[in-house]
Amino acid sequence: MRTTRRVFLKSAATVAATGLVAPSIIRPASAQAGGTIRIGMVLPVTGPGADAGRFALNGAKIALEAVNKAGGVLGKPMELITEDDQTTNPGAVLAFSKLASQPDLVAFLGSIRSTQNHAMAPDILKTGKPVAFGGTDPVLTQLGNPWLFRFRPNDSFSARVIAEYGVSNLGKKKWAIIHSTDAFGTSGAKALTEALGKAGATVALDQGYTNQSQDFTPVVLAIRQSGADVIGSYFTFENDLGIFARQLRQLGVQAPWVGSPSIVNVTALKLAGPSLYGTYGVADYAEESSNVARDFGKAYRAVMKLPPDNQSSWTFDAVTVLAKAINAAGKTDPKAIREALLAVRGHEGAEGTYNFDQNGDGLHGYNVVRNDKGNIVFDKRIDFYKA
Amino acid sequence: MDLILQLLFTGIGIGAVYALVALGFVLIFRATNVVNFAQGEFSMVAAFLMVVFAVDLQWPYWLSFLLAIGGMALLGALFNLGVYYPLRHRTYLPVIISTIGASIFLANTTLALYGPQPQVLPPVFETQGFLIGPVFLDTQYLLIIAVTAVLVAFQYWFFEHTLIGKKLQATSQDKEMAALLGIPVAGMIMLTFVYSAVLGGIAGILVAPVLFVSIQMGATIALKAFAATIIGGFGDVTGAIIGGLALGIIETFGAAYVSVPYKDAFAFIVLVAFLALRPQGIFGERIAEKA
Repeated sequence: MRTTRRVFLKSAATVAATGLVAPSIIRPASAQAGGTIRIGMVLPVTGPGADAGRFALNGAKIALEAVNKAGGVLGKPMELITEDDQTTNPGAVLAFSKLASQPDLVAFLGSIRSTQNHAMAPDILKTGKPVAFGGTDPVLTQLGNPWLFRFRPNDSFSARVIAEYGVSNLGKKKWAIIHSTDAFGTSGAKALTEALGKAGATVALDQGYTNQSQDFTPVVLAIRQSGADVIGSYFTFENDLGIFARQLRQLGVQAPWVGSPSIVNVTALKLAGPSLYGTYGVADYAEESSNVARDFGKAYRAVMKLPPDNQSSWTFDAVTVLAKAINAAGKTDPKAIREALLAVRGHEGAEGTYNFDQNGDGLHGYNVVRNDKGNIVFDKRIDFYKA
Repeated sequence: MDLILQLLFTGIGIGAVYALVALGFVLIFRATNVVNFAQGEFSMVAAFLMVVFAVDLQWPYWLSFLLAIGGMALLGALFNLGVYYPLRHRTYLPVIISTIGASIFLANTTLALYGPQPQVLPPVFETQGFLIGPVFLDTQYLLIIAVTAVLVAFQYWFFEHTLIGKKLQATSQDKEMAALLGIPVAGMIMLTFVYSAVLGGIAGILVAPVLFVSIQMGATIALKAFAATIIGGFGDVTGAIIGGLALGIIETFGAAYVSVPYKDAFAFIVLVAFLALRPQGIFGERIAEKA
């Protein structure tokens, strides 16, 4: 029987709803190999990203169960081997090294954090096996590293969408850009500055901050003094975003705010609450953007009792597409899997339609969503893919 | 001018939190001659206890607060018995390493018990704040400043005007002499740990509505409080308060007028400057005298 996307997702939902997400197929790195196709996953179990790691693992587990229910990979069950990256760059490198030392692992899931993927990139090149990752720094797929495959749209797209929506839809031309000073935030801000220049807007303030800041009063006062009429942001951690959002409103800044995907993350919505009402976000995952996204949302809610966000949707897509590519390759040879991944066209995932380019970028557009009193409402999708 | 006043208010508010945690550092240092690197985790544990009682179980705020503080007193006692007491006759190094180990243990135990998701603790007051002219006064920061002032006053009265406070001071100055005079040294040190855990806990509960409740919150605050303690003078209560407030104000103004990304660097530049030029801090006794 041909496994259609709907059948696949329905089986995922059924498996999740009946509570059959079996922990036995998720093993720590010390576990022994069996008659399975094994993929490794680097994820934060401890440190400030541990929350995101839990979401990422659940997205991957839902896909894994569906893959195995639909017959597995090359006739064998697929198995996920996890390793804690401690939400640090050295932790990520160590975690990847531990996984890479196991020769039977055929592919890997990397980090959602660009900075960690940068740290792991040299080892990934040495290992010579495909790594699916979620970091959005555009540079990552321009490093000449043939083993990196991105399962989220990169920041050159998010910046273009933020700029286009803010300038065309909101009619705002004087921008304040607030961003983390890590790799993700810096590259996002740079891309947004370029996109705004092309859109004919000006940057009144380009303000970086270090992660885990406890106070944003100086940043908010700088926005107020800059006279900006709209804010674009690249926040890495939700607690930073939450503190900034609250202080922004407390200090009387009511300018519209179009943020990178973290602005619609479940944790950010919980922490910031009403401070984020009325804001806009570019979201790679928007539940109402497609049938696949809706079905994934249903499956995820059945397991987590929470709405999903991009932390889980990219790992869901990564496991699904890796399984599809290994099946298409017909073997676990890394080069064959790489070729199969590059050949993926028109795969409908929870994050959007995957069409891998030669750099390893699978997605080429973003959804724009609005925070309507805590509910994330899909507005439009802006996609730049040209076949 | 309104910009300066706004920054000053925020700086004092943040500085007051550093000061509260720094007080805990100072008290334990005075009593045991070691730095308790788990002081920040006391703040984190208390904040999570508040989330459990006030948010998850929805018990009244005042009751949750009392239970959380009671829990911290118990934790302080257990900390003394498990982390300090067995090593009390060793040099300072094993005790410091023991407190670092306890810090990691507390953080990871909380992570295992509660999970990694940051939590929201509602503020005491429903009103977020109010404007005085162009300056927004956050009610939670006002509360933090007020509670710090009250605790400092209480601490002064307790140490200077009560017998038990004087016994604590005697213990911290010379344990052997205090024992010869019949002061129960072990009991005094136990009391110090309990009080320090409660102080750290109060700081954590106060700051939780501002910074959210997360596993990392303790480490973030403690690092700055540690710097504040050195700036003020290790072992000096007034120094901890002045050091904390100074640090809060320096980093807030530094961020506003020099560079936001280098905000944390200002605190540590001042720290390094003090270590190089005046290692005993603003109010600390001279090292030669201490030796």
